[in-house]
Amino acid sequence: MMNDKECISIKNADLGYLKNNNHHTVLRNISASFFMGEIVGIVGINGIGKSTLLKSISGLILPLAGEIFINQIPRKQMSLLELSQQISVVLTERIEGFNLTVYDIVASGQMPYSNSFNQLFKNHKVYINEAIKACNLSAHINKLSSELSDGLFQKTIIAKALAQQTPIMLLDEPSAFLDYASKHDIFILLKKLSEEKNKCILISSHDLDLLIKYCTRLLILSENGCELISSKKAKENKSFQIISGGHIQQYY
Amino acid sequence: MLFFISTCFLSLWYGGSEDLNNKIALANDFIFWQIRFPKSITAILAGSSLALSGLILQIIFRNPLAGPYVLGISSGASLMVAASILSGSSFSFIYNYFYGKTYIVFSAITGSLIITFLILFISKKISSNVILLLIGLMISQICGALQTSLEYFSDSNSLKTFVVWGMGSLANTTQSDLYIYFTFYFIFMLSIFCFIKPLNAMLLGKNYASNLGINFYKNRFYLILISSALTGLTTAFCGPIAFIGIAIPILSRLIFKTSKQQVHLFSCILIGSSTLLLSDAISNSIFNSISLPINMITTFIGAPLVIYLMFKTKYW
Repeated sequence: MMNDKECISIKNADLGYLKNNNHHTVLRNISASFFMGEIVGIVGINGIGKSTLLKSISGLILPLAGEIFINQIPRKQMSLLELSQQISVVLTERIEGFNLTVYDIVASGQMPYSNSFNQLFKNHKVYINEAIKACNLSAHINKLSSELSDGLFQKTIIAKALAQQTPIMLLDEPSAFLDYASKHDIFILLKKLSEEKNKCILISSHDLDLLIKYCTRLLILSENGCELISSKKAKENKSFQIISGGHIQQYY
Repeated sequence: MLFFISTCFLSLWYGGSEDLNNKIALANDFIFWQIRFPKSITAILAGSSLALSGLILQIIFRNPLAGPYVLGISSGASLMVAASILSGSSFSFIYNYFYGKTYIVFSAITGSLIITFLILFISKKISSNVILLLIGLMISQICGALQTSLEYFSDSNSLKTFVVWGMGSLANTTQSDLYIYFTFYFIFMLSIFCFIKPLNAMLLGKNYASNLGINFYKNRFYLILISSALTGLTTAFCGPIAFIGIAIPILSRLIFKTSKQQVHLFSCILIGSSTLLLSDAISNSIFNSISLPINMITTFIGAPLVIYLMFKTKYW
């Protein structure tokens, strides 16, 4: 269950990109806090800044203003290695070529813990095999990533994030490309992780019904900024109704 | 796997040397130690430097098109050599000071260093790999154009010297050159092995590499520096040698179906050096009295190989 330990805290941050020394702000003056043991869905229309938010938290892009705290430590003070042992990400980009197999990609999740020759020992392999099993990939471990369907690749990269053994997981549209059963499987797995291993999991997705069903809270991004609400109250929320276009009521 | 590496290495190496020995009947000690031995060592150093340099660049750019040529390092070296040979008459006091070959080596190293620092400077400003690759290609084109204009205005004697240099040769290194070559080669070679983990992480692209605790930009900077140094050094001593840098890493990935870059580092060293030894052996054994330019052989081996591999491989 969700406890009081705050693991991510965004304070008055402007998020966006720095291009040719020009600030290209996507999200303005964002403040939000997330706790261990909760699973939060991030919703918003295309281009509103869901990926920007996740990338900013994970340290792939720097906030233009304000500060992001990871476990009460300002992120600027953390090294990339420390950060990699706290946060794992699942992005929308595809990895191909160089003979990379499913096993190689999942195994790279243990890279923050391996020595400088990137050798894998028994203790690393336990976590890797655990992650492969959790994502039902045992039959595919020797397949090349370029031969995988989009859905299988999605599972592979989620398994990589699991193998990274981090308390915080950020997933950018993990349910895209997955078949109906796998979508639910992944969400059930993530919910189990957040409850049993007390992880903080942030998921951006357009599958609003899944988010309502499995998430504890929802972060709604809209033109007016961001709102954190309990997922049980989502249907009464005005911004959520706009994002769902009113269609979500039909199912529930 | 290790057995396979060593057998392919041994067979090609000694196969190459035998071919060399058969060429001239009186292969006495002098010929062996003063000509053959430095030449073979040069082939090993040059082949492995170019192959490694290509491997590193292909990983950084995640693109099989990348090779020591594309960043313009070789072209920079060529341009400086062209400038120094072709304008030799106007800078005759320098030319006399450094006699012939040392002069060429010196200017090739200068040229590759200038381009390397230019590329490194640009790489700090540019985050996109594809754009950096394109800029490298353009720089290499500019160097080529400048070189052509220099050739156009030069006299026939110095033009011939330059064209012969441009065909590449392994035979121009003396033992004292080899000491210098080997020392630098050894330093850069060792430093690559400090980058095994970043190289493996870079396969996943910038974002995932950063998420695994690898500083992408910093590592890219050092790796470009190392690979340029290896290319520049080789170009300085052997002239521009084509296709080793691009073909060998692709071949290595086809033979060893693994994504572990520590394996490919070793296999590129072995396959690269044995391919160049083989090319050298072929270039010496086709005709009895003359040896063909090494570039001709590597292109004849390399270009069809790359085309074949592109058809064969499904990894891209």
